[in-house]
Amino acid sequence: MKKYLPVLVTGFAAGVLHIVPIVKGLTCCLVVPVAAYFAIVLYQKSNNNFEQIELKKGATLGLLTGLVAAIFGSFFDIAITLITKNNDILNSFNQLTETIDMFPFPQETKDEVLNLIQAVATSIRETGFSLLYSASIFVNNMIVNPIFGLIGGLVGAKIINSKNSKLD
Amino acid sequence: MHIFSKKIFEIFLFGSILLWCIGILWEVIVQQFPQLLIALPFLKYNYSIVCHAEPEKLFHFENYKTLVCSRCTGIYFGSLVSAFFILLGKYKNVSTKVLILSSVPMFLDVLLHSLGFYTYSHNLSLLTGLLLGSLGFIYIHDALIKILLEMKRN
Repeated sequence: MKKYLPVLVTGFAAGVLHIVPIVKGLTCCLVVPVAAYFAIVLYQKSNNNFEQIELKKGATLGLLTGLVAAIFGSFFDIAITLITKNNDILNSFNQLTETIDMFPFPQETKDEVLNLIQAVATSIRETGFSLLYSASIFVNNMIVNPIFGLIGGLVGAKIINSKNSKLD
Repeated sequence: MHIFSKKIFEIFLFGSILLWCIGILWEVIVQQFPQLLIALPFLKYNYSIVCHAEPEKLFHFENYKTLVCSRCTGIYFGSLVSAFFILLGKYKNVSTKVLILSSVPMFLDVLLHSLGFYTYSHNLSLLTGLLLGSLGFIYIHDALIKILLEMKRN
């Protein structure tokens, strides 16, 4: 368990930060890669081993951090939507409708998409839950976060190793 | 590592980034394939995980916008350009120092714009993003190849 504690702690933090609107806006894609970097730092501290870290180890820690962030991030997003009956989709609903209306396509094609968004928005407004929205959040997070975690883990491991080699 | 499997891996990387960049241009691509409009709301959410996507910071092509801001567009298209040159074998490895230096213009742009020294420039954001994205991808590619090499040895 101790082995995975850094990943759980930093992944959880990234999952929480993912749903804080201002932080989300400021940090963009950096939350998960930075969490992966800190996972490596914590891993080294918990093992009291500050020597060079294997790239494979860094990548694994990053990937797992991304996975944990995806699970917690999705859970918090769905839970908050359930409680508040509001989320980003509802806030950007008008903007999305305008974007779709702008396309020079037959009204039938546009209606198909608009009806889909409308169904999701109505479901969230009334019950706080939409299966399509929840599934979409989970799948997207499970794909994107581990990739960004992996990148953060690789870059983090290389930066830590280059720092260490300067100290030697 | 066998050159063949390295090449396949690089083709996979290039293909993945190409797909990611196609997604960024979805509003433009949908022009040719109206039936793909249904994917737009899902893709918008997907890219909102990695970018604030503030409407005024999105890159415009006539009336259509990218799904990520100009800076992120630069980063991802910079990676695509690098992935292409890596496929051709025309690249040099990037050190940590160079990677950090390449991120300075982008962070300076973010800082100076945030402090109100100048208004947001799409072109400047795109260019600084391109610089970091292209060099950053070479840096990550090097690490990935080293891992594959290690796995092959074991």
